[in-house]
Amino acid sequence: MTQTLPTSAPTVSRWRRPLTALAQIRGMDRVVAIVAVCLVILAVIGPYITPHDILDANIAQASKAPDASHWMGTDEQGRDVFSRVLAGARYSILGSIGVVIGFSLIGVLVAAIATVGGPVVDEVLMRITDAGLAVPSMVLSLALSAAMGPSLNSAMIAMIVTGWPYTARLLRTIMRETMVLPFVEGALIMGVTRRRLMIKHVIPNSLDVLIVKWAGDIGNTILVLGALSFLGVGAQPPSAEWGAMIASSQAYMSTAWWAAFAPGMAITITAVTFGLLGESLQVRLNPEVSGQFTRVGGKS
Amino acid sequence: MWIVRLVSRRVALGVITLIALAAAVFFISTLVPGDPARVAAGENATADQIAAARENLGLDKPVIIQFFLYLGRLLHGDLGMSISTHSPVTEGLFDALPTTFELVLMSIILMLVVALPAATIAALRRGGAGDQALRTSAVFTAGIPTFWLALLVQFFIGGKLQILPLSGAVSRQYSVDRVTGFMLIDATISGGAEAGWDAFLHLLMPSAVLAVLFGAQLFRALRTEIIRVLAREHIAVARSKGVPPLTLVMHHVLPNSIGPAITILGVQFGMMVGSAVLVESIFALPGLGSYLTNAVGSADVNALLGAVLVTGLVVVTASLVVDLLQAVRDPRVRAAQNGGGR
Repeated sequence: MTQTLPTSAPTVSRWRRPLTALAQIRGMDRVVAIVAVCLVILAVIGPYITPHDILDANIAQASKAPDASHWMGTDEQGRDVFSRVLAGARYSILGSIGVVIGFSLIGVLVAAIATVGGPVVDEVLMRITDAGLAVPSMVLSLALSAAMGPSLNSAMIAMIVTGWPYTARLLRTIMRETMVLPFVEGALIMGVTRRRLMIKHVIPNSLDVLIVKWAGDIGNTILVLGALSFLGVGAQPPSAEWGAMIASSQAYMSTAWWAAFAPGMAITITAVTFGLLGESLQVRLNPEVSGQFTRVGGKS
Repeated sequence: MWIVRLVSRRVALGVITLIALAAAVFFISTLVPGDPARVAAGENATADQIAAARENLGLDKPVIIQFFLYLGRLLHGDLGMSISTHSPVTEGLFDALPTTFELVLMSIILMLVVALPAATIAALRRGGAGDQALRTSAVFTAGIPTFWLALLVQFFIGGKLQILPLSGAVSRQYSVDRVTGFMLIDATISGGAEAGWDAFLHLLMPSAVLAVLFGAQLFRALRTEIIRVLAREHIAVARSKGVPPLTLVMHHVLPNSIGPAITILGVQFGMMVGSAVLVESIFALPGLGSYLTNAVGSADVNALLGAVLVTGLVVVTASLVVDLLQAVRDPRVRAAQNGGGR
C-alpha cells in the first residue's frame, strides 16, 4: 500500500458552469444579457457623459416639454431630466447591486452555519430567519432606515439587514440537499473538516442557484430602493436617484409629467431586464427547477 | 383533535417568530439617536421629571431587563404614545388596519378575476401565441414600480380623463360614521347605496394599481400549477373519456389547483400589506401605509416600530389561516403538518 490517496478533490473552477452558460446564451436571451451589461456600464460611466449639469437649476427653463436640447424635458427646477436619469443610474443600479451582494453574503453565511452547525443552531437561526420573513421587507426597511436617519446609505443598510432571510432560506434548502450527495459523504469519510467542506464543496455547489437569484434580486431591489427613496427614507433631494427624482417631481405631475415619467421608465426597464435575465439563467442553469427532475442525485 | 394540535403548534411557532421580531424591533429602537426618557417626559420637563420618566420606562435597568419590560408592555397591547398624533400607537394602528385590509382584499379579488382565467387559458394553450403574449406582459408588469404606476394612473385616469376620483376614501359630501372601520360598509350604512358606490369608486383605482404587480406574480404561479395538474393521469383519463373541455377545467383542473393558489395568496397577502404603504400614501387612504409614512415624516419611532410589529402579527396570522384552510381542505396536508417535520 504505497499508493497515496489524493488529499483534495479535483479542482474545477467554481465559476466555470455559470460562465459557460452565459456564453452559450443565444437569441432573445442574448439581447437581454447585452442590455443588462449595458445598464451596468451605464451605471458606472453615466455621471461622466451627461449632456447637462445635473444640479444646474434654471427656473427660466423649468418644466419644459422634451425637445432637441432636453431629450426628456426639464423638471420643476429647470434641470435636464435626461442627464439626471443618466447620472441616477449609478445610485439605482450600483446601489441595488451593492444591496444584493451584501445580503447574499449574510444569507450564505447564515445558511452555511445552519447547515453544519447541528440541529440547535439550525433551529435558532431558522426561527430568526422566519421572523425576518414575517414582516414585508418593505415595511421593516422603511422603519429601520427612518430610525437610522434617512439617506441612501441608511436605505441600503436597511435593505441588506432585511433582505438576507430570503437568501438564507433558499440556500439552506439547497445546502441540505447537497449535504446528502455521495461526494459530500466521501469528503467526510476522508476527514475533511466541516469548515473546509462548506467552503470548498457545499457553497460552490450552491453558486449556480445564487447567481440565478442575483439577477431576479437586482430587479426587485431596484423597485424597493426606489420605493424607499420615494417615501423619503432613501436618497434625499437633490440626488438624482430615480425614486427620489419621482418623489420630487410628484407634485408637478400636471405641469411636467415627463419629469416623473422618465425615471420611472428607467426603473421599469432595469427591473424588467434583470427579471428576464434571471428567467433565462434559471432555465439554463437549473432546468430541474422548471420541470420533472429533482436535484438530489443529479449531476450538480 | 388534529385541529387543536395543529393550531397550538402553529400558534407556538408564531409566538416565537413574533418574539424574535420584537427583539429586532427593540434593537432598532436602541439605534435611534436621542433620549427616549426626555421624549416621553415632554418638551418642558424638568430634570426630575425626566429621571422619573426614565425610571417609569425602566431605562435605568440593564438592556436585557428593558427588553423583557418591553415584551410585557407588548402583551398588554401597549405600543407607546405616538409623538406626532399624541395618541396611543395601538389605537392609531387599529383605526388604520381596516382600510388596509379593505384595499388588499379588493386587490386580491381583482387579481383573481384577471389572473385565474388568464392562467387557465395560458396553461391550456401552452406555448401558443396567447400564452407567449400573456407571459411576456406578466414579466413586464412585474417590473413596473408600484408607486410610479400609481402616480401615472392617478394623473391620467383621475386627473386628465376624470373617470375615477383622484384620491381619498370617499367624497366630501358624504359624512361617514365609523362603525366597522371598513369604508365600503360604513359608507353604505351612513349614506346608503349611493355613498357605498362612491366609496367603491374611490377604492377601485388604488386596488387596481396594487393588483397589477401581484396579479402578474399570481398569474405566473397559477399557470405553472395548472400545467402541472394538466400533466396528471386523471386528466388524461378524463380527456380520453371525452369530458368536454369546460367541464374538464371546472371540475378536474381548477379544484386541484386551489391548494397552491391559497398558499401563494397567503404569501402575497403579507407583501401586499407592505406595498399598500406606497399606494395608500399616494391615494391618501387613511390606512397602515399612511400611518407609517406620517410616522417617517415626523421621526415618530414608537409609531414606526408599532406598525412593523402589527404588520408582523398580520402576516403571521395570515399564514396560520392559510395553513388551517389547507389542512381542513386536504387530509394529506393535515397529515404532513401533524407529522412534525418541517
